[in-house]
Amino acid sequence: MSSQFISNDEGVFLASQYGPHWAGPDGDRLTLAITLLNQVPPGEISLQCFEEYLEFTSSVSLQAVIETATNWKVDEEATTMLHTHSDEFIVGITSSIEPPTYPTFDDVESDNETRNDLRNAWQEEVSGVSQGAYVSQAQHMIASASRLGLRAQSDKDRLVWPPRQLNGAGERIREPTEQLSKLATILTWTRLSAAGAPSEFSGRAPILGGVSTVLVEFEEGPKGVFMLADDESKSPEIDGTVRFEVRRLYGQDGLMHYGLKAVLC
Amino acid sequence: MLDWIGDSMVDVAMVGAGQTKFGNHPLGLKGMWAEAIEKAVSSVDHGFQPTDVEEAFIGSIAFGGSQLGNTAALLTEHSGMEGVSVRRVENACASSGFALRDAWMAIKSDQADIVVAGGIEKMNDLSTSRKRYWLGVSGDTEWERLAGLTFPGTYALTARRYFHEFDSTHDDLVHVSVKNHMHGFENQVAHLRKEVSFDKAKSGFMVADPLTLYDCCPTSDGASAVILVADHLAHKFTDTPIWVKGSGAGSDHLALHDRPSLTQLRATQNAALKAYKTAGVTAGDIDLAEVHDCFTIAEVLATEDLGFAGRGLGGRFAREGQGRRNEGSVTINASGGLKSKGHPLGATGTGQAVEIFKQLRHQVEPERQVRDAELGLTHNVGGSGATCAVHIFGRER
Repeated sequence: MSSQFISNDEGVFLASQYGPHWAGPDGDRLTLAITLLNQVPPGEISLQCFEEYLEFTSSVSLQAVIETATNWKVDEEATTMLHTHSDEFIVGITSSIEPPTYPTFDDVESDNETRNDLRNAWQEEVSGVSQGAYVSQAQHMIASASRLGLRAQSDKDRLVWPPRQLNGAGERIREPTEQLSKLATILTWTRLSAAGAPSEFSGRAPILGGVSTVLVEFEEGPKGVFMLADDESKSPEIDGTVRFEVRRLYGQDGLMHYGLKAVLC
Repeated sequence: MLDWIGDSMVDVAMVGAGQTKFGNHPLGLKGMWAEAIEKAVSSVDHGFQPTDVEEAFIGSIAFGGSQLGNTAALLTEHSGMEGVSVRRVENACASSGFALRDAWMAIKSDQADIVVAGGIEKMNDLSTSRKRYWLGVSGDTEWERLAGLTFPGTYALTARRYFHEFDSTHDDLVHVSVKNHMHGFENQVAHLRKEVSFDKAKSGFMVADPLTLYDCCPTSDGASAVILVADHLAHKFTDTPIWVKGSGAGSDHLALHDRPSLTQLRATQNAALKAYKTAGVTAGDIDLAEVHDCFTIAEVLATEDLGFAGRGLGGRFAREGQGRRNEGSVTINASGGLKSKGHPLGATGTGQAVEIFKQLRHQVEPERQVRDAELGLTHNVGGSGATCAVHIFGRER
């Protein structure tokens, strides 16, 4: 199941696979916007009444998130506009500064109790002081090109991801500029019970029945671990393929941290 | 790199060793450490005083709700070693394995003659959420942890890959669990003193698929300490010193995904090579080994990485019961291992040395004694394999 995409005379619009009323367990208007931006040819975009409709403040600026997770540039003067519906989880790209007439997306039945529980868990998580491993905002920003954009470093004849400092010759490895594939192969996976999941996920893991993680290999060589998203009805398999989407990772100290999660193909 | 130390003229003897019971211990940090030192001191046959100690190395993550900074000074202050040169050694679960190596090197390099190595952790006086926080701090925080992984998760990834690459199933891990519970049943200082049937261990609560509760070690309180001396002092303290014949250590990428292989621990392999070399022995010479079975798959990998089983044959080694006490070529985890004896993180490495000390001196409970044991090995791993210390002990110098 994929996101719902509609193109009409006014522009292009997207709602999640969970329908226009919910962006899913780890989605929101920003993750939907990134998914949409990655589906159309890049350019320059102006954010129209967007940030105020986000439930939480991102740990990295919206401009940084969008520019590292897509090939778009954010520019206030741009003639292409990013909009979001104020009540529903729909985002759109148009050429008008005026709010568009949003198209109608298929509704998808979901459990209201689960949705409410997850929303409350996120709020509690973001407003709380870290009960998990602390990754500072600065550390998060330094690695954002790799974390959100899958950019790898080039070191002699190999690509390095996640980023490293010095190589074995004591030389500093250059900034990450090489784009890794958007698909990767599962080498192994696990599903942690709620009791076995890290403490920063202790609010959401019981609602979701645990969390799944895959260790994957990119065709360029690097390997990485990613939490699995949208796996309610699918199980991973070794040698299976995943793609990546930006989702909420965790909330801490008033900020929402975003990163890539794996989605089974 | 440190081969000259292995060839040094000074030999290192273990003349005393002691530990608390592992498990839910009623005492706090100071009390547990004092108890371990008390037992180590009283195990020295010809008398020993804490004030004799010149250097002390104490392994601890400083987990939990007590002293974090300067832990080692606090502990020596409360164990009769006030004023001694001391430091805390932190390498996750391998903290006291490295404390032991540092103590060994201090004597080998002729900087000290009488050294204490030990470790301590107080884990069970914390709330569940705080405990889970601390349990995760030694993994790769920035990438693995944010992908939802804790140590059960990383070892589960390894186990599933191992089953994929080799002729092995989860049943092999169940055999490890059953064996270690059987070994630990008679161990007076073990945390989980209960035997487990194959069927029960196989059907445990799923913690991190494919690992169940019976694949995971408990979180324990505990402290352990050993007393090392230079060869010229050994017989002043005892007629039966246990010689630390070899020491090796290694490290690897912190995160599993950065390692070339998901089913081998390079840190263990390198540490073992160095330890065997300095001891002048091979894996085939070892009679008993205390290996780091924080999860059952870790014991399977260790039997391969330490050279007791061939590559990909660790599962079969477990299935055939080759590590059972007095049944196979080498007894693996005669104490019950981390699985049954318990795993008070910082105390585990020197706790393994305490077991070897007693086994080689025939001082364990009679039903636990490994027959004709001459050479023992300890294998202490930090995290999912980022650090590892291996030591080899013998009755003969």
